[in-house]
Amino acid sequence: MRRYRVSYFIGQALQGIWRNGVMSFASIAVLMSCLVVLGAFTLLVVNINTNLENLDEANKIIVFLDYNLTEEQIVDIERQIKKIKEAETVKRITADEALRSLAKRAGENALLYDDYFKDNPLSDSFEITYDDVKDLTTIEFELQSIEGVRKYRDQRYIVNLISDIKSGVLFVFLWFLVMLFIVSVFIIINTIKLSVYSRKNEISIMRYVGATGWFISLPFILEGAIIGLFASIIAYFVEEYLYKSLVGSLGISIEIITLIPFSELAGGILAVFIIIGVTTGIMGSSISLSKYTKK
Amino acid sequence: MIDFVHVVKTYPNGTVALNDITLHIDDGEFVFVVGASGAGKTTLMKLILREEKVTSGKIIVDDVDITKLSYFKVPHYRRNLGVVFQDFRLFPKKTIYENVAFAMQVVGTPMKVIKRRVPALLKTVNLSEKSKCFPNELSGGEQQRVALARALANNPSLIIADEPTGNIDPKMSLEIMNLLLKINKLGKTVIVVTHEKNLVDYYKQRVVILDHGTIIDDRVGGMYE
Repeated sequence: MRRYRVSYFIGQALQGIWRNGVMSFASIAVLMSCLVVLGAFTLLVVNINTNLENLDEANKIIVFLDYNLTEEQIVDIERQIKKIKEAETVKRITADEALRSLAKRAGENALLYDDYFKDNPLSDSFEITYDDVKDLTTIEFELQSIEGVRKYRDQRYIVNLISDIKSGVLFVFLWFLVMLFIVSVFIIINTIKLSVYSRKNEISIMRYVGATGWFISLPFILEGAIIGLFASIIAYFVEEYLYKSLVGSLGISIEIITLIPFSELAGGILAVFIIIGVTTGIMGSSISLSKYTKK
Repeated sequence: MIDFVHVVKTYPNGTVALNDITLHIDDGEFVFVVGASGAGKTTLMKLILREEKVTSGKIIVDDVDITKLSYFKVPHYRRNLGVVFQDFRLFPKKTIYENVAFAMQVVGTPMKVIKRRVPALLKTVNLSEKSKCFPNELSGGEQQRVALARALANNPSLIIADEPTGNIDPKMSLEIMNLLLKINKLGKTVIVVTHEKNLVDYYKQRVVILDHGTIIDDRVGGMYE
């Protein structure tokens, strides 16, 4: 029964990191940067998604009616709107209610609206909600055929704008990520190559006395994994610091944006960082070792 | 024990290092392999160590055709060999004891066996008192004796010494050769690759002379001419 000490492998791996301090540091720094960027983009996308879901204004159309319609005409229009099966809810907003709402939003300047209450310039309107953004075109097509509808306004442009931003962010993010990972893997490959080179005498002796490929490789694989682990743990704390700083400053200035607390995502981020960091480290080590252990 | 059967080794650059070598070495033999630089001595050694593969022919060691060994079986095959190099290849940051023990650690020998066997090996090479020394505290001859102890660590049946006296003075060279003979008397097969004429002629063992990749002479008690 062959017995190997785990402490030997870990000790050799740590020794390798220490011996090639500058390259190990460079590997950790680059991989850490890569993970921080990955984390930042992930947090951005998660927050965009959350805010999109919260944007209940988005699936809403406001239908403005002609001025001077009779109550019967308005009720008839309401009946026709309710017939549109894509319309989930239909709510009437009278001209007075709309004006009161405007005045309320004006806050301290509400007095400016006082004169309008005597002669309201607004018309009655309907607020229609729908489930799916794809239904919007159908609803708007139906509205065009209803007599008494002056105009309508939807929030599609906001949804489209946010979706475009999200797609753009994802595109840039993916390219950034691919490039950073390639750089990380190459730097780790070089770090491990240096480590292998500095121990080539030792490796040749190991080979001659009958050490198996995995016995020779394991310290280097562990070295890559430890570099990845260090990088991921540091990246986690950097990410936490940056995100908390951002939430601190944005949370006060932009109240309409909901930023998810870091604590809600912390476990997932740490796990993903460790998985990606360690895998990248192992990948880099394996690539640089393939040449040395095959004799 | 070792059979080279029509072995040809050609390197990718076209150099023919060994050309149709047929050679038989019995268990427990002591063989000098001699020849000028480029004669094919090192290639012959590398083929036995399975560091290089033959271009054609086969090499049988202990009834196993090592030219057909899979990559995974090579380490296990090498555990039956002990290698000594001209430049000793000791770990400068390990003590003499640790250098010898390391060869056993890498093949997973239990610690209690290592603790028992390393002192015995150091005694065989007359270095018991220096077990705690580092290689740079020893003479060239002593370092080569440590390398010999390490080569014996896993109790191999074959010892291959590549120019074992190349880096040490003549007096120490005799000491190393005497030690190799002592090891041979213990039943191990010993192959010494060298180009030191005086030593070969002095010991009157079997001498295989290589020239441009072919064996030009092979006889017991031969001389290096």
